[in-house]
Amino acid sequence: MASAPTPPTNPYRLLGGRIPYVEGPLKVTGRAEYTDDIQRPGLLVGRLLRSPWPHARLRSIDVAAARALPGVYAVLTGDRYPIPFGVLPITHDETAIAVDASRYIGDIIAAVAARDEPTAEAALALIRVDAEPLAEHADPRMGTSKVTDPIHAKGLAGTNIQKEVVQHFGDVDAAFARARFTARVRGTFAGVTHAFTEPMATIAEATPDGRLTVWSATQVPHYLHRTLSEVLGIPMHRIRVIKPEVGGGFGGKSDPLPHEIVCAALAIETGRPVKILFDREEVFYTNHGRHPTQNEVRVAADAEGNLLAYDIEALIDGGAWSSFGTVTTYYNGVLAMGPYRVPNFRYKGRRVYTTKPPSGAMRAHGGTNIRYSIEVALDRIAEESGIDPFDLRERNALAPNSTTVNRFEITSTSFLECLSAVRKASDWDRKFRQLPYGRGIGLGCGFYISGSNSPIHFTPKMPQSTVHLKVDMDGGIAVHSMQADIGQGSNTLLAAIVAEVLGVDLERVHVQRVDSDVSPVDLGSYSSRVTFMMGNAARSAAEQLKGELITAAAGLLGTPPEEVMVGHECFETRGPPPASVPFLEVLHRAMEAKGALTASGSYQTRPKGGTFKGAKAGTAPAYSFAAYVAEVSVDVETGEYRVRKVWAGFDCGRPLNRLAVEGQIEGSIHMGLGQVMGESMNYRGSRLFNPSLLEYKIPMPQQMPEVEILLVGKDDPEGPFGAKEAGEGPLIATLPAVGNALYDAVGVRFTDLPITPDKVLRGIDRRVAERRAWKGA
Amino acid sequence: MHLDPFELHRPRSVEEAVRLASELSGQCDYLAGGTDLLPNYKMHLNLRPHLIALEDIPELRGHSFERLGAMERLADLEGDPAFRAAYPGIQDAVGEVATPLVRASGTVGGNLLVETRCFFFNQSFFWRASLGFCLKADGDRCHVVPQKERCYATFSGDLAPSLLVLDADVEVAGPSGRRRLPLSGLYDAAGDGIRRTRLAPGELLVAVHLPPSARGQRAGYKKLRVRPSFDFPELGVAVAGRWDGTRVESLRIAVGGVETYPRRFDALTDPLAGAPLSEEALGRVASEVMRGVRPVHNTFLLPDYRRRVVEVYVRRAVREAREGSAA
Amino acid sequence: MPSRDRLRFRLNGQPVDVFCPDPRILLDLLREDLRLTGTKRGCDLGTCGCCTVLLDGRPALSCLTLARLVESREVTTIEGVTPPQGLSPVQRAFVEHGATQCGFCTPGFVVTATALLRANPHPSREEIERAIAGNLCRCTGYTKIIEAIAAVGGR
Repeated sequence: MASAPTPPTNPYRLLGGRIPYVEGPLKVTGRAEYTDDIQRPGLLVGRLLRSPWPHARLRSIDVAAARALPGVYAVLTGDRYPIPFGVLPITHDETAIAVDASRYIGDIIAAVAARDEPTAEAALALIRVDAEPLAEHADPRMGTSKVTDPIHAKGLAGTNIQKEVVQHFGDVDAAFARARFTARVRGTFAGVTHAFTEPMATIAEATPDGRLTVWSATQVPHYLHRTLSEVLGIPMHRIRVIKPEVGGGFGGKSDPLPHEIVCAALAIETGRPVKILFDREEVFYTNHGRHPTQNEVRVAADAEGNLLAYDIEALIDGGAWSSFGTVTTYYNGVLAMGPYRVPNFRYKGRRVYTTKPPSGAMRAHGGTNIRYSIEVALDRIAEESGIDPFDLRERNALAPNSTTVNRFEITSTSFLECLSAVRKASDWDRKFRQLPYGRGIGLGCGFYISGSNSPIHFTPKMPQSTVHLKVDMDGGIAVHSMQADIGQGSNTLLAAIVAEVLGVDLERVHVQRVDSDVSPVDLGSYSSRVTFMMGNAARSAAEQLKGELITAAAGLLGTPPEEVMVGHECFETRGPPPASVPFLEVLHRAMEAKGALTASGSYQTRPKGGTFKGAKAGTAPAYSFAAYVAEVSVDVETGEYRVRKVWAGFDCGRPLNRLAVEGQIEGSIHMGLGQVMGESMNYRGSRLFNPSLLEYKIPMPQQMPEVEILLVGKDDPEGPFGAKEAGEGPLIATLPAVGNALYDAVGVRFTDLPITPDKVLRGIDRRVAERRAWKGA
Repeated sequence: MHLDPFELHRPRSVEEAVRLASELSGQCDYLAGGTDLLPNYKMHLNLRPHLIALEDIPELRGHSFERLGAMERLADLEGDPAFRAAYPGIQDAVGEVATPLVRASGTVGGNLLVETRCFFFNQSFFWRASLGFCLKADGDRCHVVPQKERCYATFSGDLAPSLLVLDADVEVAGPSGRRRLPLSGLYDAAGDGIRRTRLAPGELLVAVHLPPSARGQRAGYKKLRVRPSFDFPELGVAVAGRWDGTRVESLRIAVGGVETYPRRFDALTDPLAGAPLSEEALGRVASEVMRGVRPVHNTFLLPDYRRRVVEVYVRRAVREAREGSAA
Repeated sequence: MPSRDRLRFRLNGQPVDVFCPDPRILLDLLREDLRLTGTKRGCDLGTCGCCTVLLDGRPALSCLTLARLVESREVTTIEGVTPPQGLSPVQRAFVEHGATQCGFCTPGFVVTATALLRANPHPSREEIERAIAGNLCRCTGYTKIIEAIAAVGGR
């Protein structure tokens, strides 16, 4: 559904409007080039032998027969490139191919490059692995104490604990002692996965000039670049990483992934270009999705509903690798610190290795599961205290320019405006607890980081984002940056910012494909950092060009530079007499001294946060805020339900491209709805039972609610043109809004996600058996 | 994902197809729309070296009020408003099959003979090899109900229940000629997830025949699944009946998606003829149907839950049929 | 080429004559042999709709179609529904309404929508939802896809 029209106060020509994607025409015609669309001469097929064991010691691997098969060019095992890596520099526990042990069903234990797919598969079948099964560790609870055969030697003291975080601010026990209302919620969350439509794909080619080129479906080309260099032992300047169009990521293409390194290694071994394309089952095993989690939240409030304390525990099932897990462990606690004032806070989080496919970062990473439990707990406090859920949240909202107890700096927030907008639009006051049995309405809120204040890699010190511009006599403006458009529209925003500053039409601006040879470093698409950081870098670069052009224009117009303004495709002066000179003419004058104009803009975050251990986790240059209302109807005989409508109040500061912001919100609601209604990585033990798009239940169009978007943000002081993130925060509030609406509908608290109809029916049954009436039923 | 080598045959007549199948005894599969067989082949499930495509056999095509060709595309039934009016129950079921893209290729015969499904069967070769193969493909044990005799794979077609309640017949061609049998006789109640039909080796489903009594019945189909598209039935309930005022003239209920074959519950519904159907009696029948089915845990939703919904869906389907307008 | 392995059909309005062994899947033939890469491979099992093409004008899953069975038939891919210059009305609407994000599912949706609008030029919202329910999109929540198709259909 459309959001409110652009307010008339919008001072910008392009920004703030609805800007169709610049590469849209290529995508709708099938001309956009994804990795698997790229053809190279003599391309070989790379295939991976995957572990059939959840946990096994690899005694020996006999590849002789596979190597001897005609059409096979290379067979690789883990000993060839054993250098450990991982997305976080502090937790390098992955290898390109398993070295000593395989740690989940699907772990890579060998790789082949062959002339075609049947030959590659025949070769895999000829590899003989002598393996000794080790203890399977499926249940993270069992991994918190000493175990036999721990998954990694690096686990905490003989356990499978990968990371433990303990934080305490204020005095939680004292706060609970004086609380008037308390609520406890224990949440259980199945793992969910990104399920982007484009399977992972990588092509690598080593050329006789000593260089390696890697095309890969990645969200973070720069980290891939670093990792290839580290593991393959090749200096970064001899590696060229190219990011073609990427068919969705949502966090799942943000780790440097083993197959990307394997593909490069096969290319080096064979001297031929090699492609690895995953089938859908391999995508599921590669996972890195949202962690299966159990959490327990206790909330304390005083008689007026002022929040006094949170006491949180989380047990996070990490799967076989660390991935982003250290961040995840912090986030599951600290991302509870907004959008409310919480003076006392205690958190104990543990992430435990299990013999399952690794979990990692997925859209609204670390903030989703904990938010569900908190918002349900708040709903309970509201009910117990008789305070309306909206009033409760308004009373506790973080104020603009305030600091949380764990030292997050909140600058701009329009959370109150989000609340009031959805309260009114949803007709809350006439519906809450007043709809008939089986119908319900619920409120859920959230906040999220607008970029992580600290980059993952801090050596060498450099900006988080850099953007280069080049404009030559043709008047086309080439934009280079390693930001990674994975469908969220960052290329379009990049072009629009440059066009806005320079006053030119969008069609003059050409955003170049990410290519590490020519694109300056931007850290890529994760933690909702791109609009904020790339946007500021782009603006800075464009402002520099503008300065040069204005100087030239002043010469042409015969006025002082201060009087020259950017017009539409021209530079002008108010005069008297008013005059204007076309863009190209100004450009050509500016080029007389030095030829093509170039500019480089960058953005770096300012230091933030406390000095205690883990203080940087969750710090951000700005935060987005959300308040969502969902309305549901439940079939009380079968437990089937529909989310009829979602009112999405969102503060992303100034929305720079409304079309893209709406798309992010609608897509986030859809993805959040999936986690509520049916998506789950179904494990029995360590075995994934549904590695397919048939049995992994992404919602269908008929399940999508009507969505009313209310963008109420005010300009953020640091965001480019006042903008903050809109890519991940919009997901979080969806889940508790639906959960709380289900409670309003049938009087049952659902805290085991996904909330499938069988669980709903069981909840209703229990309530009936206990003879606890709800809304007259 | 490539397919392993096989030889494709394209017979032009039913007789030629059946003769080929007989010559290739046991080494072939018939290929109808391909939407069930080809995913299974891609997963290396029970591959045969020969495929007999039924694409070019005119006799298998077309539909009328009396006859549905086995190769008639589901989308062609769906797109026929006159057929919809005559057979609302069939139409309900057809419209619920998989997705529009699957229905564009999928056929009547293919849906009636759709391979039974199970979490342990509908998996890749890698997946199945890593656990140990099952009875239904390459192995000797069942992982659902651990034993070595019986396969519990679930019948997952939507069309069968809706045709069962209309007393449809099927026409079958084999090496020794043609025969007609009631659709209910096509499925083997004494079989299991592997031996699921009474078709002899090489026999080919030619057509479904609808008796004159099938027309104008009040009928409907209710399907339980997680998503309104893509998903196979976790339960399918078909109902058809005639009423004279409030008095039941005839009523049939069939259930699919919960056991290895779809079946009718005539023993429960036959006694209802001749009298109005009270809510109590309907409730009793619905409970009896529920008690009569034995789903196992080999699909997405839990078996206890699927049984619970049997009761609700039977009640609702009968009520809606009764209240719906006769065609 | 031995006639046994020879396949002739019409592709995007032109006759083609290619080598095609029996087990070849149409999607593989299009992408790998004929290098028409607009048709996408999302799951290979009929569970995403990214590979949708038109077969004699009707949508079909090219990943579940044996290439040999398109003998003498007309296959239209995303390349074939694209005019030589510019965009088709469906394509234009997808761009303008923000119905494409990552774009990977988009060719399949455009093909499905093109067929829907040919058969039913003014579909209702429900008819659109039903028609696209075999194409999976992970980015948009379908909202803008439905809006785009509805806009072309004038509703």
